[in-house]
Amino acid sequence: MSAYITLATPMIDQECLVAALVDLGFARKEIEVHAEAVPLVGYRGRARQQLAHVVIRRARVGSGSNDIGFERTDTGFRAHISNYDHPRYGGSWFSKLQARYAEHDRVKQERLAEIEARRREEARQQLIEAQRKAVHAKARKMGYRVKETREGERVRLVLVKRVY
Amino acid sequence: MQDDPLINVARTLPRSAVNGPGERFVVWVQGCSLRCPGCWNPDTWSVKPRRPVRASALAQEILGASGIEGVTLTGGEPFEQASALVHLVTPLRQAGLSVMAFTGFRLDELGDERRRALLSLCDVVVAGRYVRALRAELGWRGSSNQRVHFLTDRYTPAAVPDAPECEVYIEPDGSLTMTGFPITWHTR
Repeated sequence: MSAYITLATPMIDQECLVAALVDLGFARKEIEVHAEAVPLVGYRGRARQQLAHVVIRRARVGSGSNDIGFERTDTGFRAHISNYDHPRYGGSWFSKLQARYAEHDRVKQERLAEIEARRREEARQQLIEAQRKAVHAKARKMGYRVKETREGERVRLVLVKRVY
Repeated sequence: MQDDPLINVARTLPRSAVNGPGERFVVWVQGCSLRCPGCWNPDTWSVKPRRPVRASALAQEILGASGIEGVTLTGGEPFEQASALVHLVTPLRQAGLSVMAFTGFRLDELGDERRRALLSLCDVVVAGRYVRALRAELGWRGSSNQRVHFLTDRYTPAAVPDAPECEVYIEPDGSLTMTGFPITWHTR
């Protein structure tokens, strides 16, 4: 029975981890994702004590291999890779995985920042529009005529009292 | 007299259409001993330095503003900083800008030399205390005792709007800035 080596990683985003595994040659359907951690299985088909949320089953890992798993923790995924599989899925493979993860994470952060910026901009535009409508409505009620102009990002409303 | 005195400024607005004739740069000075009850700008009463600016620097800022025909001095009480404001408006007049001032003093209270010097540089002065009991919806004035004086022939009474006007700016962050004479707006 090959012992498992456990590596603490700074990877915290499951979506990016799965995408990085796909980049390194695993098909998406070969990567199991579980809400609750499941036991990893050894090369003889016996469940091992290691648990993981993201699992690549041993048949896909290689002949005589054990499952590879990533267990979600508060500080990042913990990788469980057997001693037997370590020569192939150890140092340099792991570095590549982390590099791909970092790239997906960067792209995701940029995408999220863009979405957030768009959301903020929409909220800002809605606020300005609401303010504009409120001033118009109040001015009308108070008997003011409104002359509206734009000065760059600023909206200027000149209120002139109607005199009959 | 200092060559380039400091002016205690409360705030400025690079362009306004409701603080005098045409488009104007508006300077609210900080400090007013008159403290009229019901004043719309009580935050400008204190004489503590708020935004001290050299007269020459403020003059450059005003001369750099686009699309204005003059400057309006208000406050606060402009004639309590008369000497410094003379330094401000002298180059502005030389550049062809008109000068208007709002003061809580009556014209006959502006007799001393420094105040007369500033007065002599103004085209229009709206003068007199704000009296809450005499509040009225008039162009450029908050109460009916206040008088509009045309001191040069640059403007005539036709320039005075028939009724109070006000201006609202919606800033890029959605905040509102209001200026002018929106009596109805303020009181309802």
